Amino acid sequence: MFKLTIYKLFENIDNILMTLIVFLITIGFITLISAAQQNIPLLGNQIINILIGIILLIFLSHIDPRRFIFYAPHLYIFSLFLLLAVNFIGLESHGAKRWISILSFNFQPAEIVKITIPLMLAWLYHRFQNSISYKTHLIAFILLSIPCSMIWYQPDLGTAILIGLSGLIIIFLSGLSLKFIITSIFSLLILSPYLWSTLHLYQQNRILSLIDPTKDPLGTGYHSIQSIIAIGSGGFLGKGWSYGSQTQLNFLPETTTDFIFSVFGEEFGFIGTFGIFIIYFLILYRCIDMAKKMQNTFSRLTTAALVFSLFSSSIINIAMVCGILPIVGAPLPFISYGGTSMVVSLIMIGIIMSLHSHKSLIAN
Amino acid sequence: MDLYKFKYTFKQRLNFVFGLIIFIFLVLLIKFFYLQIIQFDLYSSLSTSNRIKIIPIPAIRGQILDRNGEILAANKLIYTLEINPEMKLDLNKIKNQLSDIVEITKYDIKKYNKAFKESHYSSTLPIKTNLSTVEVAKFVANNYKYPNIILKHKFSRSYPKAKSGAHFIGYINRINKKDIKKLKKSNNYKSYMGLDHIGQTGIEFFYENKLHGFPGYKKIEVDANNKVIRTIETVEPTHGKDIILNIDYKIQKVAEKAFGSYKGAMVAMNPKNGAVIAYVSQPTFNPNLFTNGIDEINWKRLNSSIHKPLLDRVVSGLYPPGSTIKPFVALAALENNVRNPPFSIQDQGFFIMPNSSKIFKDWKKGGHGEVDIIKAIAVSCDTFFYGLGIELGIPKLNNMLRKFGFGDKTNIDIPNEKKGLIASPKWKANKYKKKWYQGETAITAIGQGYTQTTPIQLAVATTKLINPNNIIQPHLLQKNKLPEYIKKELKNIKEDKNLSLVKEGMSLVTKEGGTAAFIGRTADYNVSAKTGTAQVFGLKEGQVYNEATLPDRLKDHALFIAYAPSENPELVIAIVVENGGHGGSTAGPIAKKVFDAYINGTN
Repeated sequence: MFKLTIYKLFENIDNILMTLIVFLITIGFITLISAAQQNIPLLGNQIINILIGIILLIFLSHIDPRRFIFYAPHLYIFSLFLLLAVNFIGLESHGAKRWISILSFNFQPAEIVKITIPLMLAWLYHRFQNSISYKTHLIAFILLSIPCSMIWYQPDLGTAILIGLSGLIIIFLSGLSLKFIITSIFSLLILSPYLWSTLHLYQQNRILSLIDPTKDPLGTGYHSIQSIIAIGSGGFLGKGWSYGSQTQLNFLPETTTDFIFSVFGEEFGFIGTFGIFIIYFLILYRCIDMAKKMQNTFSRLTTAALVFSLFSSSIINIAMVCGILPIVGAPLPFISYGGTSMVVSLIMIGIIMSLHSHKSLIAN
Repeated sequence: MDLYKFKYTFKQRLNFVFGLIIFIFLVLLIKFFYLQIIQFDLYSSLSTSNRIKIIPIPAIRGQILDRNGEILAANKLIYTLEINPEMKLDLNKIKNQLSDIVEITKYDIKKYNKAFKESHYSSTLPIKTNLSTVEVAKFVANNYKYPNIILKHKFSRSYPKAKSGAHFIGYINRINKKDIKKLKKSNNYKSYMGLDHIGQTGIEFFYENKLHGFPGYKKIEVDANNKVIRTIETVEPTHGKDIILNIDYKIQKVAEKAFGSYKGAMVAMNPKNGAVIAYVSQPTFNPNLFTNGIDEINWKRLNSSIHKPLLDRVVSGLYPPGSTIKPFVALAALENNVRNPPFSIQDQGFFIMPNSSKIFKDWKKGGHGEVDIIKAIAVSCDTFFYGLGIELGIPKLNNMLRKFGFGDKTNIDIPNEKKGLIASPKWKANKYKKKWYQGETAITAIGQGYTQTTPIQLAVATTKLINPNNIIQPHLLQKNKLPEYIKKELKNIKEDKNLSLVKEGMSLVTKEGGTAAFIGRTADYNVSAKTGTAQVFGLKEGQVYNEATLPDRLKDHALFIAYAPSENPELVIAIVVENGGHGGSTAGPIAKKVFDAYINGTN
C-alpha cells in the first residue's frame, strides 16, 4: 500500500530528467558548502529552498495541463499586479526596487514573470493556433513588453533581458517571418544609443568594464577580474574542494550567488566545468526531445520557452563569470543560493513534467 | 497558417535554437579551456600574489662609535604618524583631523609629498615624525577617530654630537631616485627593501654596506581586506654592523674648541699606523637636519653660504702648501746633492733671479743672516729656497713631492677626496697654453705656486718623514685592514743622513729662533713642525701686505704640520686655518692644545 503511494507520487516524474536535475542540485550544494564558508544558516535555508522546490515540482507534475491553459491569463494578470505592487511596497536596495515581502516571505515578482510569460504567450498562440498572423505576433509582443518594461525600470536589466528573450523565443518558434526578424534586429541596432541612455550609470559602467576590465581593477571591473583569476587559477584539476584561495579569502565577491560557478571552477578545475557542461547538454537534449514529442501547441511552446529560460539564465551567468558578458547579477539555476531562483527553476521543471506526462490528455 | 505548417516550423526552429545553445556552450567551453589550461600559469600567479604579501623587516643601521665607545651616530626610537599613499587621502583633511593632537605644518606636507614622489617600495609614508610622548598618548587614546592614520615606531638616525665631527661622520638621507638607479646598477637594490635611508657623506657613505645590514621579510597570507590569515615564513633581518673609529672624541673636542670660530681643517693621526685621531673641518653643520629630508631654508643656508659649511676641507679643501712644503723640497735638494751642508748663504732679505733682474723677497725684512739648510727650515727662509729650487729644477722637486704622496689621493676612508695638484711645465702648457717661467720654480719651492694640497695629504706626507719605510694609509675605521682596491705603493724614501737633516730643521722650528718657538717654550715634550703661510690674495706690485687692514676673507691661510714627541712621534698633525694669517701664530696654538691633550692627557 505504502509502496503504491510512493509510486503514485512519482508517477508523473520523468526519471531521466529528474536524475539529472537532482545530480546538478547536489553538485551545486556541495559547491555551496565551500562557498558559504561555515555559514550554516545559509546552508539550512538552501536545503529548505530545495525541499520546497521539489515538493512544488512533484505537486505540479500531477496538475492537469488544461488547468495551466485555463489559468494562464489569470496568472499573467496576477504577476503584472505584483510587478506594479513592487513600485509601492517594494523593498529598496542598491537604488533598485525588486523585492516585495508578503507574510515575511521575501520574493522577486520578476522571477514569477519568468513562469507566467511563457504560459501567457503559449496560451495566446494555442488559442489562435489556426489563424496566426502578424496581429497575433503583435499582441504577443505587447503582452511581453508590459512586464519587461516594468522590470527594466525597477531597474533589473538582467531579468528583463532574460524574460524578454524567453518571450521572443516563443514568438520565434511560432513562426514569425525571418524577414521581419532581420528588419527588427536592424532597427534595434539603430535604437541602441537611446536604450543606452536609459541605463543607470552603474549598469553602463558594468558594460564598459567588460570592454576593458583591467582599466579600473578596484572599481567596476574588480569583480570580473577576481572571478577570472579564480577560474583561471583552478587549472585542470582545480585547487580542491574548500581549498580555493580566491573564494576562502574573500577575493571573490558574492560567492554563494552570482559567482558560485567561479567557486566551482576554482576548486574543481577544467575537469569539473567540463563535467557540468555535459550535464547541461544532457538536460537540454532531454528537454528538447520532450518538447518535440508534445502533442499540442500550448505544451510545445511552454516547454520550449521554459527550457530556453533556464538555459539562457545559465549561459548568462557562466558567460558573466568568465568575462564574456558584463556582471549583470543573474543567478545560476539549481546551483546559486537563493530561494526564488531555486523554487522558480524547480516549478518550471514541474510544469514541463506535467505537460510531458499528460501529453495524451491534451493532444490536438 | 495551418497547424501542420506550424508544427513543421516549430520543430525546425526548435532544432535551430537547440543548435544555437549547444554552440554557445561550446564557446563557453573554449573560454574555460583557454582560462584554465592555456592561461593557467598567469592566473595561478595572480591568485598567489592576491593572497601572499611580503612585508620587509628593516635592518637596524649600525652605530658609529669612537675608539672609547663614545656614540657618534645612534639610532633613536621615534614615533611617526603614517598614512598609506595608495589610499590617496586628502592631506588637508588629515591635517584638520589631527589638529587636536599635533600640528601638521606646510613643511610636513611638503616632506610627505617629496617622500611620496621618491618612495621606492609600497609602504606607508610619514606625515609627521618625532612625536612627543604626550602626542603619542593623545593619539593612542583617540585611535578610533583616525582609522587611516597609523602610529609607527621606528629607529631614526641621530647624531648626538650634532655639529661636532659632522664631516667625517657624514649623514644619511631618504633614498631618492638617483640612489635607486645607482643601487640597481650595482645590484644592491634588493638589500634596501624596507629601508628608507642611505648614507650620503663621510663614514655613513663610505661604510654604507657594513652599516645598513640586510633586511628580512615576513611572508604572510592575507584575505581580500588585507587581514592577515597566517604567517607563512619569517626571515629575520641581518642588522647593520657597528663601526668603531680610530677617532678619539676627547681629542676631537679639544681640537674643535681650539679652532674656535676659525675656518679650516685639521687632521691628527697616529704616524705608526695611520689611525686618524681627530678630524676637523670648520665651519660645520648639523647632520641631524638631513635624516628625514632637509628643509629648503636650511638647505639654502648651508649650500649657498660663502663659508661652505658642507665642504669637507680635510679631504676636499685645496690649499697652496706654503712653507710647509719646505722640508720636502729640502730633502729633494739634499738627495740630489744640492745645498748639502756646510753650504750656506748670506740672506739679506731678498733673492735676485740669475740672468734676470727680478727680485723675490723673503718674508722677513732684512733677512736671516747666515742660513744653512737646517736653519732655512727652522726660520722658514724663503731666500734660501728660491735659489735651491732654481738649481734643483722643477722635475726633481716634483719627483720628491710625488714620493710623499702629493698630487694623489691618500685613499683615506672618506668619500670625495681630491687629488690636489703638483704644478709642472707640462701641466701649465696643457691648462693655460703658456710657458713655465723659472720664477715659478722659485715660488713653487716655497709652496706659493700653483701646487695645491689637501690637509690629509700634508698629514700623510709628514708621517712619511717619520715613517719612511712603511706605507701609511690614513684610516678612520679601527682596523688596520686596507680596502683591497688600494694597491698603489708610495715609493719609499731612504732613511739616511739627509732625512735626519730635514728632521733636525723641523725640530728647531719650535726652539728659540724658530717660527713656532712659543710651542717649545711651553711644551714639556719636543715638537717638530713646519709653519706655512699661503697667500689667498695676490699682492699687486708695490702693494704691501698688511694683516690689520685686509678684510678677513683675503687674509693669508695659516698652515702647520707637526709631530711630537720628536724622538718617538705619537701624533702627526696637519692644520690649515683659512685666513688665519701667519702659520705659527694661529695654527700653532691649535696643534699645541691637541698635542697636550693627546700626549699628556690634559684638556
